[in-house]
Amino acid sequence: MNEKEKMRVEKKAITGIGVVSPSGIGKRQFWANIKSGRSFIKKITRFDSSKYPSHIAGQIDDLEKYSHISERLLKKIDAFSHMALVASELALQDAGIDIKNEDPNLVGIFLGNAIGGWLYAETELRDLYLEGRQGVSPYMASAWFPAAPQGQVSIYYGIKGFSKTVIADRAGSLMALGYARKVLSKNKLNMILAGGMEAPVSPYALLCCNTYGSLSTNNDNPEIAYRPFDRQRSGFVIGEGAGIVVMEGIERARKRGANIWGYISGYGTSCDGVDRINPASDGKELARAIKMALDEARLGPGDIDYISLDGAAVEIWDNSEIRALEAVFGDKLKNIPASCPKSMFGNLLGASGALDMIVALMSMEHGLIPPTLNLEAPVVKGLNYVVDQAKEYKVNRALIISRGRGGINSALVIEK
Amino acid sequence: MDTKAKVKEVLSSLLKVKVEELKDDMSLQESIGVDSTEMVESVIALEKAFGVKLNVKEITKNSSINDIANNIQSKSAK
Repeated sequence: MNEKEKMRVEKKAITGIGVVSPSGIGKRQFWANIKSGRSFIKKITRFDSSKYPSHIAGQIDDLEKYSHISERLLKKIDAFSHMALVASELALQDAGIDIKNEDPNLVGIFLGNAIGGWLYAETELRDLYLEGRQGVSPYMASAWFPAAPQGQVSIYYGIKGFSKTVIADRAGSLMALGYARKVLSKNKLNMILAGGMEAPVSPYALLCCNTYGSLSTNNDNPEIAYRPFDRQRSGFVIGEGAGIVVMEGIERARKRGANIWGYISGYGTSCDGVDRINPASDGKELARAIKMALDEARLGPGDIDYISLDGAAVEIWDNSEIRALEAVFGDKLKNIPASCPKSMFGNLLGASGALDMIVALMSMEHGLIPPTLNLEAPVVKGLNYVVDQAKEYKVNRALIISRGRGGINSALVIEK
Repeated sequence: MDTKAKVKEVLSSLLKVKVEELKDDMSLQESIGVDSTEMVESVIALEKAFGVKLNVKEITKNSSINDIANNIQSKSAK
């Protein structure tokens, strides 16, 4: 083995998935809703949001029903940590791992997030101004910040290995998965919980998302508001939730007889570096990230069977994404099924990439590609868009694209 | 209601633990595993409930229900 080979990041197995999403909690409910192509975008009911320009979202209203977290802990944490704890437990159960039997020094956790725990923060800030210092919960300090879920999950399971929270706007969780695999490749950990979580459906967080200016304001028609790549697109719709997976080495996974959902075999990332908010319109840097991911997986453009699109439903984002794909895949692009499943449940921002990867893994498992909703008249033709209904298709290798504000690009390749 | 019973009621409701878990002669760290932030929160809640000023360090050092009740009674008597 030469030096270059030694440096190569290895394929890593995904052996457990945990989903907490507007389309369902747990893999069965989630997949049943995804494959039926049903929209879960609704008017926000948690608080009066009627004055916000965009007041629709993918919401989770029944987390408590699935939660194993004590009331004592719940009062100390924000909703995004709660979602991460539930998703982690589901992932471990799915992987058949009892973490008590693991060496805690060899377990890591890598999570992505964009905005932090604002429901907790804004409630306590209100109390600060109304009641003074004494009115603020002492847990405020440890509840709101983006790394809080990583901390809470680590404490809950006694995780003591190398861990990280990745903040990269909407690209956070796909990046966390990419870095988790890189760290696992150094063979200093046995397993990693990786993914992301986001809880933006709170008064202040929703305000910030609105200020960003890329949200759809088609509030009267929530189910058709999120229309990536469509002529009538008007921006994306936010969603809340968490997607966390168990990642481990292939040998270890096989040795313990684990069910392997698939393998992460390539990852690439780049930055556009042209604007505070927007990506570069040429998509060149995104294309470079996709090529990096394909190269690392030792695959060519003709080897990919499914593309999971970022699909921000904003002209410059959608068009630059397609330009990047055209640059990498050329003529082959028209033959590769592509879809943006988040049009069903909302853009989970810092958790969106992890959810997309989970959807792609389930697509490989079931031979069914979930659709993009509301894509009636594509602005750019030439892609093999899967629309309205799930399409039966054998997927062995998928590309997942996730991008963040200011032109953060990340691309991940998974294989059956 | 005597001081001890009221201390238990306040802490049980605040920390979401059963009254029976709060032992008269065991520290809160030993009986229910309170952490430092829960201790701060408990002191604030007890101050509100009893209308006295308590010292977090003192309560942390001697944190059985008996200790806390005695501490509050000594402050109330002043």
